Amino acid sequence: MTSKSSLLKVILLGDGGVGKSSLMNRYVTNKFDTHLFHTIGVEFLNKELEVDGHTVTLQIWDTAGQERFRSLRTPFYRGSDCCLLTFSVDDNQSFLNLSNWKKEFAYYADVKEPEKFPFVVLGNKLDVPERQVSGEDARQWCRENGGHPYFETSAKDSTNVAAAFEEAVRRVLAQEDRGEHLIPTDTVDLHRKPRSGPSSCC
Amino acid sequence: MAEISVADSRRCNYFFLYDGSKVKGEGDSTRAGICYFYPEETTVDKQELLCGQLAGVSRCISELSSSPVRLLRLRRSKFAIRMKDDFLWSLGCPVEIPDVSICDFLDRLINLFCFYNGPIRKSYQIYSQEDLAVRWAQYLSHLQGGSTELHHIFSCLSTIDTTHIDPLLLLKAALILQACQRCPPVLAGCILYRGRVVSTQMTPDLTVKVMVHEMETYHQDQDHHFLQDQRHDGLSSSGSSGSITSSSPVTFTTVYLTAPELHNLLSAPVASRSQSTQSTPKEVNRARKIRQLSRTLSDTPPSDPSEPGSTHNAPLALHCPSSLHPATRDELLFSPIPSSHTPGPLSFSPIKGAPGLSGLSLSNGKLSPDVEGGFRGGSHNKKGVSGEAGVVRGWPTENDDFQQHSNGHNGGAVELAALTSEALLLREQNSPEHGGQTTGNDGDQEGFGETEGHRGKAQCVDTGDVPASPSENPSDASLIPMALYQHRVRGLVLTLLVENHFHSDTAATEEVYHSSLASLNGLEAHLSTMAPAGAAPMGPYTFAHYDCIQKTITTNLSGTPGGAQERSFVRATSLLHSHFCNTEALQEVIVRSAGAAVYGSRTVAQETYFLQQGGTLRNSGIPNHQDSAFSLPTKARHRLLKHGVNLF
Repeated sequence: MTSKSSLLKVILLGDGGVGKSSLMNRYVTNKFDTHLFHTIGVEFLNKELEVDGHTVTLQIWDTAGQERFRSLRTPFYRGSDCCLLTFSVDDNQSFLNLSNWKKEFAYYADVKEPEKFPFVVLGNKLDVPERQVSGEDARQWCRENGGHPYFETSAKDSTNVAAAFEEAVRRVLAQEDRGEHLIPTDTVDLHRKPRSGPSSCC
Repeated sequence: MAEISVADSRRCNYFFLYDGSKVKGEGDSTRAGICYFYPEETTVDKQELLCGQLAGVSRCISELSSSPVRLLRLRRSKFAIRMKDDFLWSLGCPVEIPDVSICDFLDRLINLFCFYNGPIRKSYQIYSQEDLAVRWAQYLSHLQGGSTELHHIFSCLSTIDTTHIDPLLLLKAALILQACQRCPPVLAGCILYRGRVVSTQMTPDLTVKVMVHEMETYHQDQDHHFLQDQRHDGLSSSGSSGSITSSSPVTFTTVYLTAPELHNLLSAPVASRSQSTQSTPKEVNRARKIRQLSRTLSDTPPSDPSEPGSTHNAPLALHCPSSLHPATRDELLFSPIPSSHTPGPLSFSPIKGAPGLSGLSLSNGKLSPDVEGGFRGGSHNKKGVSGEAGVVRGWPTENDDFQQHSNGHNGGAVELAALTSEALLLREQNSPEHGGQTTGNDGDQEGFGETEGHRGKAQCVDTGDVPASPSENPSDASLIPMALYQHRVRGLVLTLLVENHFHSDTAATEEVYHSSLASLNGLEAHLSTMAPAGAAPMGPYTFAHYDCIQKTITTNLSGTPGGAQERSFVRATSLLHSHFCNTEALQEVIVRSAGAAVYGSRTVAQETYFLQQGGTLRNSGIPNHQDSAFSLPTKARHRLLKHGVNLF
């Protein structure tokens, strides 16, 4: 257990109206508001949590899904440790757009090795009865696009929300562990966000 | 008195508050009456000299003219004066500062004090003179500090530079405020970034008041002496940034609204003013809010026993709640809910209110100032820049009104009191237009008062109608305690005016806190990454555009003291603004020196000033159609279009 927890930035991307803000609010404040307005630009909340003995502060960035807010959100992709690609299981188009979101993220976040960057895929609105995207289709997309973990969630009834965010943290920590073996300790990695505290290595 | 120096460029050379009730007899020393004197290092002898003389002159003039004094003009300085009950406020400044500005400055200062400390008499009973001296000094420096000379001339709000930020962010800010209003005790709010307004739902006057506290906490925050609110320690656990200190970002402050201010807030059609709303839930909320407010107000005790001259009266006392929340009790003790002589809630009928209001609008309303203005406008133009008519004016109707007000708790004061409580609700239902009218009148009165104020330059004395505007000089009886909720996210502050009981309503505060936190974080992130405004590229012209409604200014003048041309532009603007205020009929003016000409134009909603730089001024002193000054209006129209200023 480290005295000061490290700050991990995860970012929620996906089409407008798939429930990114609701996922964040459900996870951090455990509330669900049916009257949320479109997110304009970006918003974020912090949450402290413990995963596998590591205390981390998760900084969850929620972004505007609408195309017209693109220029406002893209500057905030940089420095992300993990990207949560979100679609709605009752909206096939939002699923088809996942590849575009992944591309947009890789481009603006300036990720050096996109194939190694941790993505997590979320199929939200599990509570809605009329599904357009089957779980099998989603899993297949994840396998074909780099083996991303897939979660079916519902911000409304809180299904799987915490599990999804915790998985994101695990992915980041695993990535860091791998990185720590490769990078000599006396060099500075300019591409990675500096951690606020001593790294909680194992 | 003549040797009073006007050494530096401060707007305020002297400010004092003098309590005449402490100096009644021959043997009483003047210093006993001095509540506060600025600059504080002034020797007591000099303080006494100034206070004694000015108080004496003001009293003498107001009794002779049976009209309160607004402005005393000396050879090298002038003093804005306010008198209320036994108190006299005076603010001294160099003569160059326009009369409107200095009178407005003093009003704002007094109003600011009452906003944070409640009625003047009571605040001096409760707090020590030293504590309040700190406050006066703070308000003085706040009103003088920060912004540019132009801001001071127009007494306008510092707003964020909207030309450099995405308009969507302004929408975001407006939506945050609207979302907060979904919580019924939240009346209105504003969002400030680094001391500038991003979005506000309040009137400009109220926004200015609210900003003082923001600056205060901002500085405290920077010094790591953040005000802590114990109850909110829990909230900050999901704090706004990774590096945040353990102290809470939320503070509560008790503030006092005048009855018209409150009424205005409640009757303001928030939904129609904002750009996008979900109308149905809004309507429901609003209705709920009004109901709740009326309950809240009638729940509070009707009078304060310590208030001199107040009488408890039975019918109102019946509304006194048996169980007040402990947290609000001490505030209520201090609470100046009207000490009314009117028998019961039913008599606060709009019909009763109407004669008073129409009376006011007759003596102050549009009609007579317009006529007056037109008349004066003519004579003024002929006389040119320095029309100094030796006029001492009094306004008998007005004055009668004032007598009533100053008699304290009779007559006029009762009418103010009637604005609270059920009257609010009744007026809401019966005559929605009344509210607007009330405030409209206040505005008129104020403008008119000032017009009168610098009209007459009779040797050294001006008198005008001070009194009538209740919002201007809050009657003790009309101040209603409210709370200011402030949530800071680094340079960004969300300020909400909330009903007093909000503080003790943990569920409501947490709801507001959590529903706004993410958006505030995001907005702050956006604003902090916006390119700093930098000096706008100076075109071959200088302009200043003042929005009289929102009290904002747009200019391409840099904030730093500029060259000679810039300074003469500011001087000309100051002069013209003063004239526009004096002369209601005046619409377009060109003032010129040998080297420059400034064009000024105004409508009811705006004032615009324009200086064309470079180019040789062709003027021979004789009217000449080739004179380049005559092309200024066309040039101004043309040039300013691209700044969004439409002079057509």
